[in-house]
Parts: sequence; structure tokens; C-alpha cells
Amino acid sequence: MSRVLKWIVCAGWLVGSSATVSAQSADWTAVVDAAKKEGKVVVYSMALGAPYYAAVLKSFEAKYGIKVESLDLRASELAERVRTEQAAGRFLGDTEIITTTMIEEQLKTGDYVQKVGDIPNAANLREPFKTSDVSVPAYVQPMGILINTRLVKPEEEPKSWNDLNDPKWKGKILSDDMRPLGSGNTMFAVLQKKMGAPFNEQLAEQKPVFSRDMRNDARRVARGEYPIYVPQVFAFASDLKGLPVKVVIPQEGAPYAQMEFALLKNAAHPNAARLLINHFLEIDSQLLYANAWMLPVVKGAAERANDDAKAFANAKLMGMATLAERPAMMELARKLYQ
Amino acid sequence: MSTLSSNEITHPPMRWGIRFARLMEGKAPRRLALAALALLLAFLSLYPLSMLLYGSLHTTPPGMAGTFNLSGYIQVFTWPTAVVFANTVGISLLKTVFSLLLAVLFGWIISRTDTPMRGSLEVLITLPFFVPPILTAMAWGMLGNPQVGVINLAWQWLSGSETPLVNVYSYAGVVWHMLQYSTPFLFLFVVEAFRAMDPALEEASRMCGASQWRTFRRVTLPLMLPAVITAFLLSFIRGLESFESPLFFGTPAKIEVVTTAIYNSIHHQSIPNYQFASALSFVIMGLMFLLVIWQWHLLRGRSFQTVTGKGYSPRVIKLGPWRWLTFAVCVLFFIISVVLPIGQLLLGSFFQFFGFYQWDMLTLDHYRSVLGNDEVWRAFRNTFLLGFGGASATMVLGSIVAYVSTRTRWSGRQLIDVLAWLPWMMPGMVLAVGFLWGFAFLPGAITIYGTIWALLIAYVALGTPVSVRVMSAAYHQLSFDLEECSRVHGASWWQTLWRILIALAWPSFAVGWVLTFFGIMRELSASVLLYSVGSEVLSVVLLRMWENGQAEAVSVVGLMMMLLVFLFRWVQLRLIKRYVSTL
Repeated sequence: MSRVLKWIVCAGWLVGSSATVSAQSADWTAVVDAAKKEGKVVVYSMALGAPYYAAVLKSFEAKYGIKVESLDLRASELAERVRTEQAAGRFLGDTEIITTTMIEEQLKTGDYVQKVGDIPNAANLREPFKTSDVSVPAYVQPMGILINTRLVKPEEEPKSWNDLNDPKWKGKILSDDMRPLGSGNTMFAVLQKKMGAPFNEQLAEQKPVFSRDMRNDARRVARGEYPIYVPQVFAFASDLKGLPVKVVIPQEGAPYAQMEFALLKNAAHPNAARLLINHFLEIDSQLLYANAWMLPVVKGAAERANDDAKAFANAKLMGMATLAERPAMMELARKLYQ
Repeated sequence: MSTLSSNEITHPPMRWGIRFARLMEGKAPRRLALAALALLLAFLSLYPLSMLLYGSLHTTPPGMAGTFNLSGYIQVFTWPTAVVFANTVGISLLKTVFSLLLAVLFGWIISRTDTPMRGSLEVLITLPFFVPPILTAMAWGMLGNPQVGVINLAWQWLSGSETPLVNVYSYAGVVWHMLQYSTPFLFLFVVEAFRAMDPALEEASRMCGASQWRTFRRVTLPLMLPAVITAFLLSFIRGLESFESPLFFGTPAKIEVVTTAIYNSIHHQSIPNYQFASALSFVIMGLMFLLVIWQWHLLRGRSFQTVTGKGYSPRVIKLGPWRWLTFAVCVLFFIISVVLPIGQLLLGSFFQFFGFYQWDMLTLDHYRSVLGNDEVWRAFRNTFLLGFGGASATMVLGSIVAYVSTRTRWSGRQLIDVLAWLPWMMPGMVLAVGFLWGFAFLPGAITIYGTIWALLIAYVALGTPVSVRVMSAAYHQLSFDLEECSRVHGASWWQTLWRILIALAWPSFAVGWVLTFFGIMRELSASVLLYSVGSEVLSVVLLRMWENGQAEAVSVVGLMMMLLVFLFRWVQLRLIKRYVSTL
């Protein structure tokens, strides 16, 4: 009797869940249809025309026949443009891809984003990535240490963040400025939390030389101006193949910046925007990012990445900077690097 | 006998041209025209500035709840900001003085001496001005870094010394990089002023026994005062607002200037501090305004008219064997400021990576990727459209404003002049935010925001100060006798304007047009905040390429821009030559 009951319960659950799935898929079909009717989606992005980003947009246009207009801006310009447009009632953008902290800031200072709703592919997110009411993870940019392989012998290669504080590197580390907001300060904040305060104090004693042009700085290291550069965004080194440089993923892990999608308030094309978000979480889309040495946020992409990209797509993550800690971390960096 | 009242008197029908001319000479139309001009300038300059003034006095930007206070200004008047300000003034003053000396020397060599190949040298000297600073910064980083810079390696190899000869990441490096841009900029002003000068005054000085040097010092230079002072002011103010040089070469040497402080407060703060950025900009604007008043005071009541009714031809000083020295000086400047950095860019554009000149890295991929990139061509098309339209509109507006402020006694002309100055005094990246706020918060029916018109209007506003200064300097040199003579001989106001003023000032107009056109091509701060999908301009596309690590492709575009400069300058100089020969 109990076996029969179990069968009935199982059958009931299967029917129930398949009904939910079919209801969900019916809902999603309606979203897709509505998106196609809208015919266009306007994305505000910080990708600044990166080829992998452009490739994902192209594949979306090819798959759904929906035109994507991407407005590429630097982080602060994007934030101000969104804020100004929303405040002035000019709702030109549909969705944005920005850092987690920027979305937190938008929620704190105004009413610029709306609930995203269910995104089917979000069910495939890997740990530790999660959606919130208003945001969906898009991709992750981890950071490590860049070395010049002609100036740093294999036995001297730093393996841990602590190795940067070896006296032999004093005055020989080029770094993104840690005082203002940016990758340098993200690294500073995460290492302060994970490695302890003495780490940053010792690093300051190493007298790193600050610069503000991450793309050119990696090349300066390649040319031999400095043996070491921190923090090296993995993805920014993926196009330096052939140069005498190597990205080291420290054993403690990599600080990172997380990019997320948000749906803008009063978006003219909300369904097309949701469809684009879903498309970004397709394994094929994420694979484009993984092959560009970024960390995909869904399961199944890192495993399929190219051999040279696998280590970066599977890098151990150390943590990201948070909005609440940011002012204190910037102040501390200013104090240490006066 | 019946009499006729005045309104019964019948006049013979008047021709439309005469009617219009009379109307133009009346007071009412003049006031109307002046009011329209003031309104237009106010929209271009006062409107975005008023948005920024609000931003400087309010704790939050427009559209957000906040309170009014003076915390932005209080933050400005602190010791760290004073240090930043001292750095800025010091750097700008140094580079302006040195570049003005060089510009006057080159202007004199090119326009007044028999130095060989002056035509070619004139084009070559101005080239650095037209190259995006980010490219020359990268090139100088490769040439002058203390560790493995090409210059230092060559020096160490030649001298056996272990200490580097130069370090571009220093105070001197910042000044040097800025100097390369301001020298050709000032040269363009000065050379036209030299050309427009009647040499009779100098000849009179020589006849009275003055030496060549004394004549230059006591006659030539004082007569050039409007052009020199205007150029000095423009260059000094632009120096205060310079960004790329201090960012790239000053940051590693811990040198902070006003623009990097503003950049940090807008782009690299936990919450963008627009209040401080705009307050700092207004304080600087106030100080710049004092400089402009000083300029007015200096030029007031003095005549600098050197182009009179008497015919003249520019006198060429025979230098004898010394002409080869002047030739060498110009060539040396060209080699240091153009050949060295641009040579690096040209060489690097044929290799996979800059600075790695190996046979296996030789490639034409960067040229292929740029020439095959639809976005680049679209940006070129948009930039050209905006450049031609913007530069032409700006120069027409600048010519009118300069005419009103220098050739008339109309009340309110100084206000017009001040309004035209304002955009130059506000750092570009802050003014760009003013435009963003201004256009976005216009009444809903006015849809400038998000269209290509937003860019065009911003470019006209940003270019007007230069156009006004160029044309004012040109008008200052024209004698009033010329206009009076024309009118006495029966020419109408329009004919006089066309046949005398425009005809004599158009070489300056052409210079101003080229400066404005390439200013538009290089402008980034406003472009990136105001462009919309489909209206991408070249500077935005270059920024994207740079941020994506495509420095070599950026160089290819930079080199294409230089080719354009060659073409423009060649056409311009040919036209001037043809025009001057028919004077």
C-alpha cells in the first residue's frame, strides 16, 4: 500500500512540476514574443566595445532578430547618464551592465531600476553567484599579478600575495593607483580584509609606483620598465600573447569585480531587455567570456573553455569590494600612500 | 493753397537693398541683433554654467533631493587644494612661457625671414598639435622612461653612464609633454599676426638707426601684443585645464593638478563629488576671469592697427648664412616633437605590439582592422559632418562676436565678449557635465538630448572662445581707415564687410577654422557624455579601442588624422598664398 502511495506522490509531483515548467515556459514564450514585437533593446554598458561583448550581442540579434543598440561609457559616466535621464524623465535606456556596487549605489541614492522578474537561465548560475530582485550576474573580472618573464626568474615568481612584500621587489612594483576608486582600490580593499592590515602596510613600504592606465601599464611591464604589475585583470592580459609576460593567480585567490544586469525603470523595451539578459546567461555566450580569460557565472562554460583560458575561468575567487566599506578603504589607502 | 502733411508726401519707391541697409543702420535692429546674439551665447555658455553653479551649491546633482550649502567651496579652500592649485599654475606658467618663446621665434622665422623651405616647415611645426595626446604620451613613455627608455638606453650606451638622462615621469616631463601641444597652437596665432603686419613701421625703426634686435623688441613685439597676449592667455588657461599630461606623467611622480583632482572627484570617488568638482572649477574660473580683465586693461586705449590702406608686402629679412641656423632650429623642433614620437607610432603600427620590433611580429593587421571596421568609418563620417558644420558655425559666430566687440561702439559689446569667453574658462570635463544636465533638463518637447544636435551645440560652445580670440586679434590689426574709405567711396555696409573686413581677415578665419575643426575631432569629455547610438564620433571610438588594449589600432587612426592635417594645411596655405598674392 505504502509503495502505491509513494508512486502516486511521485507521479503527482512530476505532473505538478511539469505543469509549473510548462507554465513557466509558456510565460517565457510570451516574453519572447513581446520582445520580438518590441524589436529593439538599448543597453548601457561599460564594455566599451570589447569583442566578446560585441559577439554576444551579434549572436542575440541573429537568434531573435531584435536589434541591439549598445551605448558604451566609462563607469562614472554611465552612472551619471542613467541618473540624469531617469531624473529628467528621458527613458532612453532599457538595461545596464555595471558592477554590483554601482547597482547598490543606485538603489541607495535613487529609484532607477526595476524588478527583473524570472530569467530562465538564472537557474543555471554557479556558486557563489545569485540573482536579486533587481539584478542578475553577467560575468566576473578577477585580478592577479602580472610578471615580466625575462626579469622574474621562474624560482622567484610570486605564488602568494605575500610574496609581493619580499624586499627584493622594493621600488619594482608598478600598480594601478590604490587611492581612488578603481581596480587598484578593489585589490587594496579585498587584501585588507582577507590578508589582514599588516599586509597592506608592508606593501606600502615596498613603495609601489602608481599609474592610471591599466592597458598601457601591462605593456610597460612587458617592455621591462617594471618586473611586476598589480592588479592585473586576467582578461586584459589575454590579448598580450607573444609578449614576455605571465599572469599569476595567487594561491589565496583573486579579488574580483562582478558585473550585473539591471533593468532600468520605465524601459521602453523591457521584454527585449529580459530576453537579452537570458541570452547572456546561455552557455555559449558565457563561453565567449571564459575564452577571454573571464570567469563565467553559469555552470558548464568553464569546462568548455580553451586550454589557455581554463585556469582563469576556474580561478579561486577571493572576494569583491563592497559599497559599505568603500569610503573607509579609500581613506586608508590615502593614508598609507600619502 | 493746400499743403501736404509729412505722411502725405510720396517717396519714390526705394530699392530693397537700400531699405535693408538703412534698417541695419538704425538702432532698433541693432539692439535686436545684439539681444539675439546675447541670447544665443547665453544658451551656449550661461545655461550649462548655471546648471553647474547649482551643482556647486547643492549637495546632490540636479534631479536629486538635497540641500543647498557651501561645502564644495569650503573643501576648495583647504591646504591640499592650495598645493594642487600651486602645482597647476606652476606647470601651466612654465609651459606657456617656454612655448610662447618658441612660437614667437618660429613665427618670426617662418613669416619674416628667408629661411629655406619655410612653407614645408610651417606645416611640420604645427603637426604635434593635431595628434591625440594619449598617443604621444604612450610614445614618450617608451622614449623617456628611466628604466628602458630608448633615449636613456642610447645615452647609457654612448656615455657609459648608469644614470638615465631623462625621466618623463616627472614635473619636467609633464611640462615637456604639454609644451609640444602649446607651441604649435601658439605658433598658429603668432605667425598670422606676423604676416598681417605692415613692415613700414619696422623699416622706420631701422632707418632711425635701431638694430634688428631693438626693432624686434621695441616695434615688432609691441605691435603683436594683442595676438601674443591673447595667445598667452588661451594657452595658459588651456594649460590649467590640461589633463592627459599630468595624468600619465604626473601620477607616478605624485604630482596632482586641478584636472586630476576634478577627475578623481567625479570618476573615482565612492559617490561622485560634483559639488567639489564644480566649486573648484568656479574658483578657477574666477581667477581666469581676473586674467581676462588684465588683458582688457593691457590692450585698452591702444592702437595695434598694422593693416592700413597703404599697400604693403611682408618684408623678408635676409639672414645670410644664419638662415641655415634658423632652418636647423625648426628642423630640430620637428625632429624632437614629431619624428621621435610619431616615428615610434608609425613603426609600432606595423608590428603586433608597440616596442617589440621583431621580424615575426611584423603585421598589417592593425591597418586591416581599422580600414575594415564599419564603426571607424561611421565615426569618421559623423566627425567630419560635425567638424565641418561645427567649425563653420563656430567661426561665423566667432567672427560676428569679434566684430561686435572690436569694431563697434555698441553698448553691451563687452557682455557679448565675456559670454563668449566663459566656456574656455571651465575645465572641459566639468563643462561636459553641465551640457549633459542642461540638455537633459530642457522642457520635454525640446529633444536635443540624445541626438547629434547635442554634440553640435556643445562643440560650437566649446569652440567659440578660440574663434572669437582668433578673429578679434585679426580685426584689431585692421585700420578703421579702410572701412571709412570704403564707405566714403559709396560702398554699402555689407559691401564693406565683405570686401574689406572679411577679405582681409579670412586667413585668420581659415586658421581658426582648422583649430576648431581639429578641436572637434579631438574633443572627448563632452562627446562621451552626449553621444548616442549611431552618432559615435572618432574620439569615442578611439577611447573604446584604447580601453580594449588596441593601442596600435589607435595609432593607425592617429596617423590617418595626421594625413588629414597635411591635406588641410596644404590646401589652407595654398589658398592663403593665392589670396595674399592678389591683395
